[in-house]
Amino acid sequence: MRIRWRTLRGSKINMKKVYLLSKVDEDKCVGDRFCENVCPTRAIRMVNKKAVVDETKCAGCLHCLDACGEGAIMVLERQAPLVLGIDTTEIDPAEIGDLCNRANLDPEERICVCMDVRAGEVAGAILQGARSPEEVSLLTGIRTSCGMWCMAPVQRLLQAHGDAKKPDKGYRWYPIETGVWDIPEEVARKYPEYRLEEDSAQFREGTLENLVSIFKAKS
Amino acid sequence: MLNAAVSPPKIMPSLMGPVLPPKRAAELPGIASLEVKELFPDIPDRIYLQGEDLSKIRTATEKALADVDMGMIKPGDSVNLLCSEHGFSILEGEAYAEMLRTIKDVVRDRTRCENIRLRFCVGGALIEAREMIPYFGLAEAFEGRVAGVGPFDRGVPIETEIGTLYGLAKVYDADWIIHAHYDDPRETYFHRLVGRSLKAFTMSYARLETRSVYHMNFGSRSSNVVPRAIFESPFVQEKFAFTCFQVTSPAGIIGVDADNDHQQLDRRLMVNTLKSYGKLLRLFAEIDECIAVLDAGRWPWYLHAGGLTSGNLLKGPTDYLDLEVGSPRKKYPSTLNPAVKALVVNHSWRELFVDLASWYPTIVTDPEIAKGLPQRVVRNAFIAESLEKAMEHAYEVGKTDKAILFDGSYGAINLTPPLGEYLLEKAPAVSRKVDGELLPMWLRQRGIDPEKAY
Repeated sequence: MRIRWRTLRGSKINMKKVYLLSKVDEDKCVGDRFCENVCPTRAIRMVNKKAVVDETKCAGCLHCLDACGEGAIMVLERQAPLVLGIDTTEIDPAEIGDLCNRANLDPEERICVCMDVRAGEVAGAILQGARSPEEVSLLTGIRTSCGMWCMAPVQRLLQAHGDAKKPDKGYRWYPIETGVWDIPEEVARKYPEYRLEEDSAQFREGTLENLVSIFKAKS
Repeated sequence: MLNAAVSPPKIMPSLMGPVLPPKRAAELPGIASLEVKELFPDIPDRIYLQGEDLSKIRTATEKALADVDMGMIKPGDSVNLLCSEHGFSILEGEAYAEMLRTIKDVVRDRTRCENIRLRFCVGGALIEAREMIPYFGLAEAFEGRVAGVGPFDRGVPIETEIGTLYGLAKVYDADWIIHAHYDDPRETYFHRLVGRSLKAFTMSYARLETRSVYHMNFGSRSSNVVPRAIFESPFVQEKFAFTCFQVTSPAGIIGVDADNDHQQLDRRLMVNTLKSYGKLLRLFAEIDECIAVLDAGRWPWYLHAGGLTSGNLLKGPTDYLDLEVGSPRKKYPSTLNPAVKALVVNHSWRELFVDLASWYPTIVTDPEIAKGLPQRVVRNAFIAESLEKAMEHAYEVGKTDKAILFDGSYGAINLTPPLGEYLLEKAPAVSRKVDGELLPMWLRQRGIDPEKAY
């Protein structure tokens, strides 16, 4: 599949404004690290066995609020919104297109349905120096909601760029290695009802519509 | 024949959605109902609708479990009874809760195992479990042995024939697991009804990365190999005891089925779903224009009308049960259904709106409801003063007087009379086509001889 990067809907930056901010109630925090493990931007770290939120990184996803069983997370409104987004016009479109091609993604393909992030934006973030899912999130806002759609394409793009490192500790994220493109032949033959060979052929041709493609935008 | 609107299932208050609406859409003057069996008399009869006698569910569960082998479970063992959030959205959820309570009682009585833990697997956030466990009295029923499990929780690697995938550690931290689920055919456009009964192994019971693999690294047909590979893995098979499903038709809950042989159960469920829901699915595809009213207590795609979820209308007229329909990538046209002329939001959980509000003219029925919806929805929506005003606006914007209410109902569809009459007119031809052409094709594509499926 060869796809040329064009524009991101004609705009320079697809901005996400973050209005919320998590704050830790130190009296309630028991240092169990649940919040640290679910934070998509690594905004939470443990200092003296208490969680501390880096305000410059908190994407307001509220995963920490959901994960904390102690009620130690408070949510505040920011004085001024934190803006997440990347100006892809400053990056060579050919490089973005090439990285997406290697990950077998269309640069304009929406890979995060919650935060409205395109593959080209993530490729741009990687080309600007992001080397981990957390760094990609900080530059694009991706992974700051459900995470159930975007995690595989984020890792595919990082892997295509040669940045396939695993998380150092905890369970912030797990590596993804499986896709229709490398299903063993014997497995495809074992389960004919799943049409693996047909979908794999479509993938190789660049015509496979994954499950998120149904949500493609009108313009 | 059209009847007065039926009372829809009540909405559970939740922080996942806005405040409860002051009025349900079914209470509006001019809303009628159409019984699903009036459309298709061969839809299987129900044993339960919301608010009815739960003892029928208990009896059906006990009967289904009677032939299930539980000999592998010893008195000192631990058992995780796995349930999923969406089951509690079906007909107010009490039937699913009763099925779970009954499974626990039967397993305890037959095995003398006391350590039976309910693992409440959420769709997106642990708050779902924190709200529903007390709402349904599950902590008392399971003597406190209840825990919510979410997609961000610690994972456990599962070696499968397609590579390493990640389940949730709390799902698998017992000697045995029981897969307790429901056959609601939501998202037929995703699972294509091939192995649908295992989908929870790649969603509810899996880490977010594995859910993303299912969504993004496969097409809609091939993605079903992911839960199958997890289920067939030695890790899961060593723990798997049996499966128990709540079985439905558009009429309501029709029974409970259980088996140690999951694949045999899957085939029974598949045949039932194709026969029970196939005609209504194709009838939805015939709708030429309508207003879709979201008025129930889950995410916008998962609200029922006549037992079918809103996603099955919003996703468009394509026959996703036809496995010859592949997954061609199309450049940018949305596949959202152009027959839906406007969305009215009276109540819905706030996430998963995705493009809906930018694709469809969207009208929110009340400023207070709007406060509980995502900004990206509200930005693109018209905020009405009341439900009545919202509907008036929707009819005007959509230039149609046909409206369907996704208000959680089974047994009947609440709608406007013009849509009811339209559906009644279309139903006979749909029925003939499904019986004579589509159902045999769907069955054959899934390796089932149509002659033996009746």
